[in-house]
Amino acid sequence: MMAGVSRILIRRLSSSQSLPPSVRCCSRNFHFNINGKRDDAKVSNDISQYPVVDHHFDAVVVGAGGAGLRAAFGLSEAGFNTACVTKLFPTRSHTVAAQGGINAALGNMEADDWRWHFYDTVKGSDWLGDQDAIHYMTEQAPASVVELENFGMPFSRTEDGKIYQRAFGGQSLKFGKGGQAHRCCCVADRTGHSLLHTLYGRSLRFDTSYFVEYFALDLLMEDGECKGVIAFCMEDGSIHRFRSKNTVIATGGYGRTYFSCTSAHTSTGDGNAMVTRAGLPCQDLEFVQFHPTGIYGAGCLITEGCRGEGGILINSEGERFMERYAPNAKDLASRDVVSRSMTIEIREGRGCGPEKDHVYLQLHHLPPQQLAVRLPGISETAMIFAGVEVTKEPIPVLPTVHYNMGGVPTNYKGQVITHVGGEDKVVPGLYACGEAACASVHGANRLGANSLLDLVVFGRACALTIAETGTPGEKLSPLKPNAGEESVANLDKIRFAEGTIRTSEIRLNMQKTMQNHAAVFRTGDLLKEGCDKMDAIYQSMEDIKTFDRGIVWNTDLVESLELQNLMLNAVQTIHSAEARKESRGAHAREDYQDRMDELDYAKPLAGQEKKSFDQHWRKHTLSTVDIKTGKVTLGYRPVIDRSLDQEECSAIPPAIRSY
Amino acid sequence: SINVLIVVNRVYQVVLRPTLACPVSTRGYKGEASDDSRGDLIEIPLPPWTEKDGETMDMKRRRLLFQSRKRGMLENCILLSLFAKKYLNTMSETQLRQYDRLINEPSNDWDIYYWATEAQPVPNVYAGEIMDLLKEFTKNKDQEQRLDAPNLEYLDKGSQ
Repeated sequence: MMAGVSRILIRRLSSSQSLPPSVRCCSRNFHFNINGKRDDAKVSNDISQYPVVDHHFDAVVVGAGGAGLRAAFGLSEAGFNTACVTKLFPTRSHTVAAQGGINAALGNMEADDWRWHFYDTVKGSDWLGDQDAIHYMTEQAPASVVELENFGMPFSRTEDGKIYQRAFGGQSLKFGKGGQAHRCCCVADRTGHSLLHTLYGRSLRFDTSYFVEYFALDLLMEDGECKGVIAFCMEDGSIHRFRSKNTVIATGGYGRTYFSCTSAHTSTGDGNAMVTRAGLPCQDLEFVQFHPTGIYGAGCLITEGCRGEGGILINSEGERFMERYAPNAKDLASRDVVSRSMTIEIREGRGCGPEKDHVYLQLHHLPPQQLAVRLPGISETAMIFAGVEVTKEPIPVLPTVHYNMGGVPTNYKGQVITHVGGEDKVVPGLYACGEAACASVHGANRLGANSLLDLVVFGRACALTIAETGTPGEKLSPLKPNAGEESVANLDKIRFAEGTIRTSEIRLNMQKTMQNHAAVFRTGDLLKEGCDKMDAIYQSMEDIKTFDRGIVWNTDLVESLELQNLMLNAVQTIHSAEARKESRGAHAREDYQDRMDELDYAKPLAGQEKKSFDQHWRKHTLSTVDIKTGKVTLGYRPVIDRSLDQEECSAIPPAIRSY
Repeated sequence: SINVLIVVNRVYQVVLRPTLACPVSTRGYKGEASDDSRGDLIEIPLPPWTEKDGETMDMKRRRLLFQSRKRGMLENCILLSLFAKKYLNTMSETQLRQYDRLINEPSNDWDIYYWATEAQPVPNVYAGEIMDLLKEFTKNKDQEQRLDAPNLEYLDKGSQ
């Protein structure tokens, strides 16, 4: 009976399109007929199959997470008529998952200095972070948190009424010599939600225009300048061109390229892909952060607190293997050490489960009362997503993709840059912030609680830079009448795709390939094999098969467009990883286990000769893709080693990174 | 003496709760919970959610499918997309409207997770048939492995 109902539903779905019947079976050739401007835009659909609406704004922000909302709010507050285009309702952006907090050197728990936070972040980035951007972020941090408080974020307080700050990994005092710092500010356990709620609510008072459940397709580029964004409305299938002098990309990360990641199914790297399709480079995509304990398959995060309470990792032989890899710290060694140990166990055949592809996190040796009181959420998550009763059985876990350090390259002001003739060059009209951007403050490895800070500081930076360089109500330069046509042609092609391989199949192939070849364990042969496999999977997109032909609320179409975006992120990630022959931060190779800097910082520097730019790896990767062939081209640009003001804050010269 | 009263009150509340559940104060899912004044929610009210007018049941189902699969965090993505796979196509109009409100009105996705897992009590406005179904579904009595959101092909009966 279920099948019968569904069959009727499908027939009804495919006939309930919003197109006039005469047009529905037309050939795939079409063109635009635009008729309209501003908000009361007129819609034309007499010739074009897809009604197109033109909007003019002073600024357009793509993405309504922490970074996007901060940028939209800042722009609206400065008087710019701002549009925010988002595929999700703002408070449902992935920022809501963040329960940790925001780092800022407020000095409420002990004497603190933002320069110590600066040092921690530079060191955490394994000297791949740009120190001018890190200087900007850590110096702005206290003011940013106070500003958020003034907007209405109810930070947790100490008894004296000051903002409570807790300890977090990688944060120290006195340039690493003064012990653990306490600089993470939080709103109970819903910092991410509070950030979104506060910024969204405030931005509405300044008349920000939200276009919710609009899927951004591409940037509108002309002569190397960004003139806006083209998007499609999921609710009625109409196409919208948001024309503007200022476009901000804040679309988040791309964890979904991997089989196992902690990210929501919305993290599909849409902004990175839009930039790639515009012929611009992405930066440092090979740097993907892994968290040691995500639930196998589901990927939901199991907090480090489990191991803190006595949980242990075991292999198929029931051995507590961390004793071999980290005799002192054992299961509480640093994240990248634990992740790599788990991966080695699996590769050497001691993995668990029918495919021997994960390890176990054992908690059932702990008293049930302790589990219930100290780790309440774990029992529920394990039961719901792994069908495991933690008081009786171990939880299957795997190092899980957690964050993307790489993204759209920007300077510390949030302006998107390319690298031409050995110089950084600003792309006019284009900005980026948040996880989608690569300023680069996280370099090769991100510290906990620096991500929410990144969102707020650089979202604000984009708004400030736009306010500095432009004025509200500025006249827009003309745009070709058929700008964005290619994007709609692509949408149409995917909507009616009749190949032989389903979207879900191609997606799974990509995810499994990335998981097997470009995860924690990286080595030359494995990466090379992965590159070849990914190139073939990229080609297989030509043979994609979708099944939902409608235009209204077509989830199949959206997920297929997202797959296109993921694919571009995946090929750049794996090719960049294969090319980088060193280990730095989150990129760890078994065949090149050391960092390869311009000087050997493990030895005395006197008498050493500096390696030339193409002989060392302390540089940013810039990757571009030929969309038709899927061929990835790599280039490099130098790391910025000077702070914004050498007197205020000395840059930290590279050193060996040990904790 | 006020402190004594507070302590006594808290102990009383803990005793009343079922043994496996945790103390009444807001339980953090990850990390320590601390007092939440909810000042932002009180002082910055967002525009109220309203039901969409003039939507056919088909369109509602299609919209709710997208909105079930695309959530703020992974736990809800998996839970709601599996729930939608099981129930969405056979929900009555009333049930669809209940479900619409449940997944679209709350501003914090974690709240929906806490209600479904019974970590926190369900506010009266969301209590009902659909919430009960969701709570039951979440319990995973058959202990099936819920490794990921399902692929969409279960909707493509035309090719099977």
